[in-house]
Amino acid sequence: MKILVAVKRVVDYNVKIRVNADNSAVDLANVKMSINPFDEIAVEEAIRIKEANKADEIIVVSIGPKENQETIRSALALGADRGLLMQTDEETQPLAVAKILKYVVEAESPDLVILGKQAIDDDSNQTGQMLSALMNWPQGTFASKIDLMDNEVNVTREIDGGLETIRLKLPAVITTDLRLNEPRYAKLPNIMKAKKKPLDIQQVSETGIDIKPRLTTIKVTEPAQRSAGIKVSSVTELVEKLRNEAKVI
Amino acid sequence: MNTLVIAEHDNSQLKPATLNTVGAATKLDGEIHILVAGENCDTVIQSAAKITGITKVLAVDSENYTHALAENMALLVTEIADNYSHILTPATTTGKNFMPRIAALLDVAQISDITGIESIDTFIRPVYAGNALATVKSSDSIKLITVRGTAFEPAITDNNNAEIQTIESGDNFAQSQFESHQLTLSERPELTSAQVVISGGRGMGNGENFALLEAIADKLNGAIGASRAAVDAGYVPNDYQVGQTGKIVAPDLYIAVGISGAIQHLAGMKESKVIVAINKDEDAPIFQVADYGLVADLFDVLPELTELL
Amino acid sequence: MANYKTPLRDMRFVYNELLDPEQIQALPGFEEISSDLVEALLEESARFCEEQLQPLNRSGDEEGCHFDNGNVTTPEGFKEAYNGFCEIGLNSLTSDPEYGGQGLPRSVATFAEEAMCGANFSFSLYPGLTAGAIHSIELYGSDELKKTFLPNMVDGSWSGSMCLTEPHCGTDLGLCRTKAIPQDDNSYLLSGTKMFITAGEHDLTDNIIHLVLARTPDAPDGIKGISLFIVPKISVTKDGSLGEANGVSCGSIEHKMGIHASATCVMNFDNAKGFLVGNLNKGMEAMFVMMNNARLGVGIQGLGVAEASYQGAVEYARDRLQGRALTGVKNPDEKADPILVHPDVRRMLLTQRALIEGNRALAAWVAFELDVSHNHPDEKRRKQANDFIVLMTPVVKSFMTDCGSEVSNIGMQVLGGHGYIRENGMEQYVRDARIAQIYEGTNGIQALDLLGRKMPEHFGRNMRPFFHAVRNYIYAKEMNYELKDFLIPLAKAFGRLQKITAVLAQRGMKNPDEIGTASSDYLRMLALVALAHQWARMAEIGMQKNKGDDGVFYQAKIDTARFYFERILPQTGALFATMMAGAKSTMSFNDDAF
Ligand SMILES: Cc1cc2nc3c(=O)[nH]c(=O)nc-3n(C[C@H](O)[C@H](O)[C@H](O)COP(=O)(O)OP(=O)(O)OC[C@H]3O[C@@H](n4cnc5c(N)ncnc54)[C@H](O)[C@@H]3O)c2cc1C
Repeated sequence: MKILVAVKRVVDYNVKIRVNADNSAVDLANVKMSINPFDEIAVEEAIRIKEANKADEIIVVSIGPKENQETIRSALALGADRGLLMQTDEETQPLAVAKILKYVVEAESPDLVILGKQAIDDDSNQTGQMLSALMNWPQGTFASKIDLMDNEVNVTREIDGGLETIRLKLPAVITTDLRLNEPRYAKLPNIMKAKKKPLDIQQVSETGIDIKPRLTTIKVTEPAQRSAGIKVSSVTELVEKLRNEAKVI
Repeated sequence: MNTLVIAEHDNSQLKPATLNTVGAATKLDGEIHILVAGENCDTVIQSAAKITGITKVLAVDSENYTHALAENMALLVTEIADNYSHILTPATTTGKNFMPRIAALLDVAQISDITGIESIDTFIRPVYAGNALATVKSSDSIKLITVRGTAFEPAITDNNNAEIQTIESGDNFAQSQFESHQLTLSERPELTSAQVVISGGRGMGNGENFALLEAIADKLNGAIGASRAAVDAGYVPNDYQVGQTGKIVAPDLYIAVGISGAIQHLAGMKESKVIVAINKDEDAPIFQVADYGLVADLFDVLPELTELL
Repeated sequence: MANYKTPLRDMRFVYNELLDPEQIQALPGFEEISSDLVEALLEESARFCEEQLQPLNRSGDEEGCHFDNGNVTTPEGFKEAYNGFCEIGLNSLTSDPEYGGQGLPRSVATFAEEAMCGANFSFSLYPGLTAGAIHSIELYGSDELKKTFLPNMVDGSWSGSMCLTEPHCGTDLGLCRTKAIPQDDNSYLLSGTKMFITAGEHDLTDNIIHLVLARTPDAPDGIKGISLFIVPKISVTKDGSLGEANGVSCGSIEHKMGIHASATCVMNFDNAKGFLVGNLNKGMEAMFVMMNNARLGVGIQGLGVAEASYQGAVEYARDRLQGRALTGVKNPDEKADPILVHPDVRRMLLTQRALIEGNRALAAWVAFELDVSHNHPDEKRRKQANDFIVLMTPVVKSFMTDCGSEVSNIGMQVLGGHGYIRENGMEQYVRDARIAQIYEGTNGIQALDLLGRKMPEHFGRNMRPFFHAVRNYIYAKEMNYELKDFLIPLAKAFGRLQKITAVLAQRGMKNPDEIGTASSDYLRMLALVALAHQWARMAEIGMQKNKGDDGVFYQAKIDTARFYFERILPQTGALFATMMAGAKSTMSFNDDAF
């Protein structure tokens, strides 16, 4: 059993981002970057599956510039076996990413692909679904529990009304939700060992895949700031304000 | 060309977010059709036909759609997609699940979670947990869009009688199958469409204490929400979570109780009309977005509030 | 509420730009320590400290340790945090890989230690004392002792303590009374009472390995008759498993000003079985070698707390609105300006910053030379590094912990009354930082060690590496006009230091009280010159890079350097005058009049 995990390098979730001066994009200069938190959950899940002796190999793939090697290394330090960087400096939108991943999946033939349900930068929530469509594989999105059997997997999904469990035939694509697991810290010796794990680099430009963006960003703006209101001193005052001032009750 | 809205429902009722999505569709050109795919969902089909602005209901009744599995939804919609310039569905967990699959099969981009429509090909969508708004223009021939319900006025549902056209079921995708679900049963209004939402955070201390919120929700006919911290701590089920990756709400009144106000939580509620924050830590970031802040112990405040309402 | 973030940006600067990562990588044993690996290691270490240790800092302080009938329990959450800490290997950064350690350079580990102390000073003492004990065994233990104790200590399942102090014997360890009676099987039975023993007893590990100073029956009097022993809390059987309880018990724990979550124990040894470490009667030598490492570690404690306090102070100074800027309104939308505009508040923040960043740079230099002294292939270079460390050890221990206290006090002052109350966490830093000036040899004793022993030793040989480095730097940059604002005051202060060194060496030969009186001032002066040297180097780099990427960071380096040279380094003038005045006024005072 072979698992492919896709990881994206994104602005660290603690960073308060700013829109740049000409409103063309979010300012990313000197901003701390980290592995997308949902992808870290995906890596952790793959490792747990391997630790339960249900998988032999975990491959981590990332798409983007050469700095993404760090992101891959951090996944290798957690316990993935080898890495692959599909290198490109171009913008890659979810459809393009899914196409590149399809290319990787065809080359590697994993039994399971795990991705984060969304990246916390563009908040798209598309790539896993698109990849499974392109592969014509079943999909289990927003997973909060994965129960792997021989040729099948039960995926419990976080949905608006509660939880839903579906059964998928392998190979399949799964995307992770927050409560699937709590990722571990990398052990320091493993961070050192990760330096020696294989990390291949392939140029996206050499694959012939069409990654041209379909969406053009015309501008990026900051949302209207909500200003802080007033502090009330008692419950009575609060109820009075809600009734007579805000008129919402 | 025309717009297709894919309805969200549970085979007996149309979900309110569908109406907001139709509301968004009215900002585009052409007719609006609505697809109701389900099983034994006649009441849903009937109510879809009543929505103002709809000219045609595409109805398909088959066990393939009982649970709106993404694989089957995608096979169905790709069959009819060519007739439309825009396909819209609510950005709920259902829509987010199947819509990108359709997009990939049609080889088009999806525009996620839009909060504004500038023109027939240009849309506004929040990125970075709502800390920036991107205006994007699509070059695809069919625009696949998921719609943030709270950003659009709902369509009205009483005075229409749209044509109902039954269509063929698509193929069944055999490699995936529904097993079971555990739905949170509640008499309360749905979180994303309630007029009043009262949410608890880590400060609630445990799940039992959410009863304090329920007492207030009962009086205000509100829904109950939670911060990620409260869900992670196991106080309440996952579907209570409000935030960047949970539910987006924009009620008339949002009451945050014992919630510190991480940006990821604010992303899910800061469009609410009136925000009340109750927290004993006066430095909690939630106060920076609250219209009315009360610095106090929630265990003192909540019973008193119930009393006064 | 204070929220510590590891200053990774500055650490990266110090490691990559002030030190030379290639030189570290060139040392045998560190071939794999590339600068991007260091980055990854520090990031993960920092994350653990911030996410797991920091949340326990305040609660640990409030709760403290519990003593119940000989058992000590640490505050809630400490055990889980300790397990996680060991699991990822933060407890064994520099330990020998042969026994499961990471074998990292000290110049890397120092940053991780700073993060631990900044996030949770009390917690850091448990693994900290173990590291000291491991180091002693590594250096002086027999192979058998190493095999028996090191693997479990290095993986964190056993911890260590250092048992030196006794009720009547603190600074003067020659007064040690604990007895060690030799047995036929080459072991010893130890009896006596030790006090103030950090981590002497606790619930974090299955066993505690005490390193105990004691005296055999016919040992010579005083310091020359002291030997070092290993005494496990629970004896270890031949196959390495835990056997019976040894004759070691905890009598009580102290109630103290700070580091509440660190157990400070009275330890009773009652015919406890122990094993000699190193040679008989050479216990103090073993201690001294170990101390170079440990004292740098204590200096780092001061640095970690100081940084935490600075961060809390800056955050507050930005938010707190009070009064108007002297030069006119800065914040017209509000009724008052943030206190950051006030000159005196800026003075406080910049003083904190200049001392912290200067100390971080100095500590890195000392740590690097420690690595060189152990790993460099050339014996001459190793010796030279060792001379440097011998000189600088009391300086970093003493000056960095003095700064820890000074800076955390300033941090509290920035918050006014809100700093004094417990809620904002600033007063805890003051209370915690204070101990580091006292233990591991009081700062007064450090100063005496520097001026009374290290300076004159081998006709001043220990002074050479440091004095030459500063002198060579001044010579090399003399012609650099841009640096004149830094080089001129550096040269001036350095001149004063050279002069007073010569004066004191002379006076000391006639009257040792001249040394004893001047020592604390001398140590501070030497430290201020050492920081000036680092600040000049940092400003120099800043000038090369303040126009490029991240220019704000480099410009701040230049500006902080300016503040240091204009407003802190001049203290050397006063110190010079103080020392020149000599011992008389101090020593001639009538004892009865006190
Ligand atoms: C919280 C805490 C944790 C500790 N942890 C440990 C531990 O783990 N292991 C351990 O063995 N000890 C530990 N200690 C003990 C600590 O190292 C001693 O307190 C310290 O060495 C000073 O000894 P003392 O308290 O007896 O002071 P004293 O030696 O009595 O000194 C009192 C004062 O006199 C000065 N003085 C003494 N002699 C001289 C001299 N010759 N010349 C000039 N000035 C002098 C000192 O600088 C000091 O100001 C700890 C202490 C505390 C409070």
